[in-house]
Amino acid sequence: MKKLYTILAIITALIAVILAILPLSNLAFIPAIIALVLGYLAFLQIKKENGSKHLVQLSFLLIIIALSLATYKSIFSTTELGNTEQLEKLEKESKKEAIEELEDIEISD
Amino acid sequence: MRPIFFLFLLFISFTIKAQNNAIQAGESLNYNLSYNMSGIMNDVARITMETSEVKTKKSTLLRLKCTAATFSKWDSYFRIRDLYESYVNPNTLTPYLYKREINEGKHYKFVKYNYDYKTKTVKSFIRKKSKNFKSGFWDRNNTIKFNSGTRDIVATIYKLRSLDIHKAPIGSSDHFTVLFDNKESIFTFKLLGKETINTAIGKKECYRLAVEVSDPGVLKGKNANIVWLTADENKMLVYAKFKVAIGNGELKIQSASGLKN
Repeated sequence: MKKLYTILAIITALIAVILAILPLSNLAFIPAIIALVLGYLAFLQIKKENGSKHLVQLSFLLIIIALSLATYKSIFSTTELGNTEQLEKLEKESKKEAIEELEDIEISD
Repeated sequence: MRPIFFLFLLFISFTIKAQNNAIQAGESLNYNLSYNMSGIMNDVARITMETSEVKTKKSTLLRLKCTAATFSKWDSYFRIRDLYESYVNPNTLTPYLYKREINEGKHYKFVKYNYDYKTKTVKSFIRKKSKNFKSGFWDRNNTIKFNSGTRDIVATIYKLRSLDIHKAPIGSSDHFTVLFDNKESIFTFKLLGKETINTAIGKKECYRLAVEVSDPGVLKGKNANIVWLTADENKMLVYAKFKVAIGNGELKIQSASGLKN
C-alpha cells in the first residue's frame, strides 16, 4: 500500500507540473490536490513502518512547484491577444473586394 | 373564442416590426470566449463584433463584421483567426453579401454567398485547402434556391436584436432560416423570461432566450444554449452559454461602444 500511494502521488504530482507549465495551468490544481492527499497517506504509512521518505519528499516538492506555478499564472498572467496583424490585413482586403462586388447592387426596403 | 385567443397569444412571434432600431454603424462589442475544460472555464479567444458603413456607387450598406482570435497562450497549440462578414441593408438587415474565412489550426475554409433577391438564389463559393489540386485549393461554385427570410449566421445574430422582444409574451418563440455551409437550418429563439445579471459593463436587465437548431449536430441539450440580450433598445448580447458536441462554454461581454441607444 505504501508503494502504491507513493507511486500514485509521484505520477499525479508530475501531471500537475506538466499542466501548470501548459496554458491549462488552472487544471493543475486538481491533480496537485490528489497528489497531496496520496502523498500524505504514503507519508503516514512510511512513518508507521519507519521506511525511506525520499520519494514522498520528491512528490511534495513537485506539488509545491505545480501549485506555485499555477497560482502565479492564475494571478499574474493576463489574457493577451496573439498577433492579429494578418487578420487585420485580411479584414481590409475583404472589405475592398466586397465593395467592388457590391458596386452595382441596389438595395430595397 | 377564448381558446383561439389563447392559441394566438401562444404562437405570437417576436417579429412584429422588421425595422432596425437597435444597431448603427460604429458599434463595437468585445467578448471573451471561455471553454469548459474538466469543469474549469478557460478564456480561449476574443470575439469582436463591429459594424461600419459601406458606400457603393448606388447604395449604402451596413457591414457586420465578427472576428475570432485565440489568446496568445493558446496560439502555439490551436491558433484561430476567423473572419465573418455580412453586408446588409441598414434598415431591414437583409443580407446582400456574406463572407466567412476561417483559419483554425491547419484548417482553412472560405465561404461566400451573393444573394440575388430577384431570382431568390444564392451564388455560393466555397474554397478549402487541398493537396490534390495544383493551386492548392479545392473550389466549388453552387447556386442555391432560398426561402424568403433566409439569412446567414451573422445577419441572423444582428436581426435578433432588431425584434420587438418587449412585446412578446414569455414562452413565445421565433424561427429563423439560416444558411450555413450551403444548408438551410431553422434556428428557434424562445423567450424564457427576464433576468438581471452582472457583466463586465455593469449590472444589466436582460431577456433570456433559449436557442435551438433544427440540425441536431450543432447544439446539444434542451435549454442548454441560452443567450442574454439587454432588455433595452440596443438588445445587445452580453452573455451566452452554449453546449456543443465537443463540450460547453460561455461568451462574456468585455466592452461595448458606439451603441445606438
